[in-house]
Amino acid sequence: MLLNKREDGIISELSKLYKKYGYTRYKPGCFEEYSIYQENKDFLLGKNVITFSDLDGKLLAMRPDVTLSLVRHNEINGESTEKFFYNEKVYRQVTGGKKFKEISQTGVEVLGCIDSAVEAELTLLICKTLNALSDRYVVDISHMGFIEGLLSEVDGKKCELTQFVKTKNLHDFYELAESENYSEEIIQAFKSAINICGSPSKALCEMEKVILNDLMQNAVNQMKALCRMVEKYGFGDKINVNLSTFSNADYYNGLIYNGYIDGIPHCVLTGGRYDNLLKKFNKSGGAIGFALYLGEIERFLIKDEKKVDCLIVYDNSTQSEALDMSQKLIAKGKSVRISVDVPAGLACTEIIKLSDGGIK
Amino acid sequence: MINIALPKGRLGEKIYELLSKTGFCCEEFSKDSRKLIFSDKNSGVSYFWVKPSDVSVYVELGAADIGVAGKDIIDEFSPDVYELADLRMGKCSMCIAAKEDFTDDMSVPLRVATKFTHIAEKYFSKTGRDIEIIKLNGSIELAPVLGISDVIVDIVETGTTLKENNLKVISEILKISARLIVNKSAYKFKNEQIENICRKLQEAINDID
Repeated sequence: MLLNKREDGIISELSKLYKKYGYTRYKPGCFEEYSIYQENKDFLLGKNVITFSDLDGKLLAMRPDVTLSLVRHNEINGESTEKFFYNEKVYRQVTGGKKFKEISQTGVEVLGCIDSAVEAELTLLICKTLNALSDRYVVDISHMGFIEGLLSEVDGKKCELTQFVKTKNLHDFYELAESENYSEEIIQAFKSAINICGSPSKALCEMEKVILNDLMQNAVNQMKALCRMVEKYGFGDKINVNLSTFSNADYYNGLIYNGYIDGIPHCVLTGGRYDNLLKKFNKSGGAIGFALYLGEIERFLIKDEKKVDCLIVYDNSTQSEALDMSQKLIAKGKSVRISVDVPAGLACTEIIKLSDGGIK
Repeated sequence: MINIALPKGRLGEKIYELLSKTGFCCEEFSKDSRKLIFSDKNSGVSYFWVKPSDVSVYVELGAADIGVAGKDIIDEFSPDVYELADLRMGKCSMCIAAKEDFTDDMSVPLRVATKFTHIAEKYFSKTGRDIEIIKLNGSIELAPVLGISDVIVDIVETGTTLKENNLKVISEILKISARLIVNKSAYKFKNEQIENICRKLQEAINDID
């Protein structure tokens, strides 16, 4: 399936959108100290980065991610808010492959004081970002607090339980629950966490029934407030509460987002609240953001066509006439290509052949 | 239309039989045909046969919305998919086996021959035993017999091949059965149809049990 969009068109449309909301463009350098990626390996999508030594011997890396640079290079405090967007290339290992790839990535980050208005605005921006690609999209929303709260009720087996929730694997969970002798209320809570995937009203109602502690209660309250606001602006039907959506708890702590588009088999947008990452950099305040992986969906976008209005074919004796003619036509607003032959695959409305005998 | 990837072989045929009985039949379907894809507009499904170890690839990349894959394949390749049901068919186990007289010499790395390198690595990294992996693609039992490995990590169904080659199971590391896996994006956009197929297939399996 092809989305009826071009990459450069999407980038310019999204930049306009983010500017309208008062976000400023962030443009980091391409290189970054390797140590920040080494210390935060689990924050990255791929573990490998391209490294090289600078002239003074310092180990540098080609940036595999923009968020870490943004957090590292900006003053952040809990009282004011900084809003950024970026369109950058990042350098990562191809999923499942053994090669590095340059990937185009567009994203939005808010640093500082994060309140429910910021979270709701960011959610609207996620919806509008996906809508720029296709109107057949869904945003999976979850909350780290709900899963963390649930996991805090059991001893050990956190890796297995996390995996069961992530893959909606109820059958293997039941087996584990039996061997570990979990109480009925814990079993019910995990069952909901694994199964819930649907409209906010129904899903949040289900979640309320299995709350076991304050962490889970706070998560539900926050999600409720968010969904109410998003519904108010007409995006309620695009939100899918899915608790299988969650990220690394070392970095993420609140709302989590995954964006999907009909016809594209994988997640195209990820995001969430990452105050814990700030703590690792000894910075106060909160942070929330998302990234759209344009590079990962390029095969679903329309390629630029090879097309001109006029093609002027010239030979050795008509070089200057060809240039004269092209200048005149370009001045009249046409796109013109001069060439010694007819290039393969080039679409053109008119072909003008200049040879010894004049125009053909 | 829901696309379903079935593993070539007896297990895939059994799953198709169950699905066709619950209303997802495909008129042109034939297991003996050399055709690879069968579609039926009325029942809204399209089936295709793939190598069992490739099912998870087709599902993860979205060529299939649903697939049937062994737990061994899911654990080995960790595809980014949902695992919605245990179909309780094709049961067997992933085991560590060695020669009858094997004793573990902890002073040297254990040489492990296997097709399932990730499963083996994950298991031994949990136990903390230092290993050397020897990746083989078949006849794994030969490796300890000919002395190129100390143990093997492989699928054991009846244990007959092991016995015939004077090998014994040392421990079972994974119980295997067929699982129903689903593409994460398709699960959002074709949720009702996928849930329907999943539910009916599970009911059909419960009836057999």
